[in-house]
Amino acid sequence: MTISQADGAGTSRHRLEVAHLSKTFGPARVLRDVQLSVAPGELHGLVGQNGCGKSTLVKILTGVYTPDPGGSITVDGRRLRTPVQPAEQREVGVSVVHQNLGLVDDHTVWENVRLGRYQARGPFRKINSRAEREAVAAVLARLGRAIDVNVPAGTLTAEDRATIAIARAMQDHRPGGGLIIFDESTRALGKSARGRFFELVRSLTDGGASVLLISHQLEEIVQATDRVTVLRDGQVVETGIPTRDTDEAGLTRLMLGRHLVTHSRVDSHAQDDAAATVRGLSVGQVRGLDLTVRRGEIVGLTGLMGCGYEEVAEALGGARRAGSGELAVGTRTLSLSGRRASTEHFVRAGVGYVPERRLDEGLAAEMTLAENMTLPRIRSKGSRLRTGSAWQAEEAATMIAKLDIKPPNPDAPVGTLSGGNQQKVVLAKWLAGRPNLLVLREPTQAVDVGARHDIIDAIREAAKDGCGVLIASIDAADLAVLCDRVLVFRNGEVTSELSGELDQDNIIHATFGVPQEKRWVG
Amino acid sequence: MDAARQEQRDVPSAPSPAKPGPGFDVRHVASRYAVIGVWAIMILVYALAEPGVFMTRSNFISIFTGQYALVFMTMALLCTIIVGEFVDLSVPSVFGIAATVLPVLVTNHHWGVWPAAIVAVIGAIACGAVNGLLVVVLGVNTIVVTLGMGTLLTGLALWMSNLNVVVLQPSSFEKIGTFTIGGLYISFYYGIILVLGFAYVLAYTPLGRHMRFVGASREVSRLSGVRVNRIRFGSYVAAAAISGIGAVITVATLGSYNAESSNSYLLPVFAAVFLGTAIIQPGRFNPIGTWIAVYFLYTGILGLEDLGLQQWVSDVFYGGVLVVAVTISTLLRRHRSS
Repeated sequence: MTISQADGAGTSRHRLEVAHLSKTFGPARVLRDVQLSVAPGELHGLVGQNGCGKSTLVKILTGVYTPDPGGSITVDGRRLRTPVQPAEQREVGVSVVHQNLGLVDDHTVWENVRLGRYQARGPFRKINSRAEREAVAAVLARLGRAIDVNVPAGTLTAEDRATIAIARAMQDHRPGGGLIIFDESTRALGKSARGRFFELVRSLTDGGASVLLISHQLEEIVQATDRVTVLRDGQVVETGIPTRDTDEAGLTRLMLGRHLVTHSRVDSHAQDDAAATVRGLSVGQVRGLDLTVRRGEIVGLTGLMGCGYEEVAEALGGARRAGSGELAVGTRTLSLSGRRASTEHFVRAGVGYVPERRLDEGLAAEMTLAENMTLPRIRSKGSRLRTGSAWQAEEAATMIAKLDIKPPNPDAPVGTLSGGNQQKVVLAKWLAGRPNLLVLREPTQAVDVGARHDIIDAIREAAKDGCGVLIASIDAADLAVLCDRVLVFRNGEVTSELSGELDQDNIIHATFGVPQEKRWVG
Repeated sequence: MDAARQEQRDVPSAPSPAKPGPGFDVRHVASRYAVIGVWAIMILVYALAEPGVFMTRSNFISIFTGQYALVFMTMALLCTIIVGEFVDLSVPSVFGIAATVLPVLVTNHHWGVWPAAIVAVIGAIACGAVNGLLVVVLGVNTIVVTLGMGTLLTGLALWMSNLNVVVLQPSSFEKIGTFTIGGLYISFYYGIILVLGFAYVLAYTPLGRHMRFVGASREVSRLSGVRVNRIRFGSYVAAAAISGIGAVITVATLGSYNAESSNSYLLPVFAAVFLGTAIIQPGRFNPIGTWIAVYFLYTGILGLEDLGLQQWVSDVFYGGVLVVAVTISTLLRRHRSS
């Protein structure tokens, strides 16, 4: 103990120093001897696959978990007691901005920023709202942003919301000090807001604050950070690599520990006959859409958020009722607008739907992996009196092997899996039924590189088996490697259709560029 | 008392010989069977504290013949609670109205006993259908609907019975409840058949799997092709049907029914159902665990009453167990999902 404290005093040139940190949950060692240091004024990246221990590390740094004995966390030379106490954490200036930014939308900016710090005055313990507002305005001034502190947080742009979250995180830091941990916070930002976000973060580090940025977006790690640390299976693979000496491929290799086969386009598996035919679909802004997906064809739907492609996917997946339209799939024709067009009919016709929010719409967290996977077929493959266990076990084992789902335990509650593995289970749930049409929304969102690879392979294989695939996504990289053609939506209309050799850039250009002649048609 | 304390020390240490094995398994077994262990300890303590009173055949029969009504009502509540409908407060009242209609029709209106029994069950099912209509189809708050419905039905039952205990004339009809096998009324075995049947449906049939998923997440179930509203509505109807049939069997066994007693079932029903989540399948509502909980609770109360404590002890015991059981269940669920 005394030795470590001496160590701590000797290394005070680090803002944050983590040494020999381990964490064990029951039989599982999720963090092993983690070392990490962040210098003052540094923007430090932390990357790793889902389930590598990143979130556990953050939870230890913020006092949610108690680390195993033997490790140390030192901030500016001061060794913190573990579990980390909120008061001490605030005193040394360590704060976190979480994934969803943690804002309460219908409360005002100042209420959000001061949450947990309200100063009550007088005999009735009334909040001194004027003082609170002034305090918030002062913090925003430090950030160089003018935002009205009296408007509800929900009315702000994504960029301003991020600013509010940062203001809350840094308000107790002394100028030129402190450490802000961004735990996947950029996910809550649109692509356009990210540039401004990083400018703001950079201005903080230029002022002497330190930042630990946790992100799945290797691109932004490479572009924005000074140094980067890579975690794999709870261990630090490399720490403090100067970012200028590495690139996305290099980081990917470190994260995976194996050379990833690069995603190159493969030949189309599209056949001549139709897997699904859509006639006259009207939903949301979209009016009268006709679309044919051939067997084995992968069709991408993209566009700006809210311009209609999401609703098209939801309607074709049976998740929402459209204004009008028909979907012919397999031997059946489904009405997309009828009162009786329940999702059940879509499932029977062989339509699989992978929703965007996997834990709200795709999986029941408390049920097991096998139960989740076999749910759509439990009635059709079982008899009324017996579900039958053999086919379920076989299906689960096949899909676990095919998608490399970890842990490979069909009886594990799905909620205990990492995000990437949960996404694989949602996909497996439908692929196991050999669908005629598979509709996916953001299939690789918030999954790690390894899981993305497995998911892309599985989608391709489904197409090879003759399934028609529709992918609704804003991820141009996914669409470019997977799709035979991509429909770009704008204001409810298909403004361009890209096919042949696709690349990320021309999809992005078609999405964000100004459409030429079709702008006001219809 | 010393001996009792000795017992208490010995029994909880029972899992420790298994420690050399993986620690994980010990906890697993302990969490499944802890309540059964406590039950055994409780019986031992009572047996030692009240020699010659507690461990008697009549006491044993009293424990296992008395609780069939509660078994039916807990299974009815499980129907809706498993599909995620918290909480059907009308179960005891639906039971009560069926149990009142039957003797009133027979004794006051001179109906045949079988037609009256059928009307009682159909009436109960109709109440369940109204619950289902309001909650599932119209989306009215479950607690408001079932609390209102429960109070309304209890009031109707009191009116029909003129606030009296309605007695059924002795007839061969009683046999369906009082026929004795191995010293126990057949109504005890009906309860076992119902519990095992329910457990089978949940564990082995597509319907049971769908019910579990609807309880876990309506949206996930809907998007997987499960007819969510049909299952929710069906659960209200099934709950009412089970209550109605339980009521007919209860009247046959007792030969009478006091409409005022319905409300006294409410707390025991909830206590048993929630305590059941700590048994067999920790963190999950399950029929067999609930069945064990019913008899566990009654053993506790009977023992205390044998010790000379008054009637109030059942309120204290059921109320206390409900709070403890819900706490344990919450902790187990948190443990499961973490």
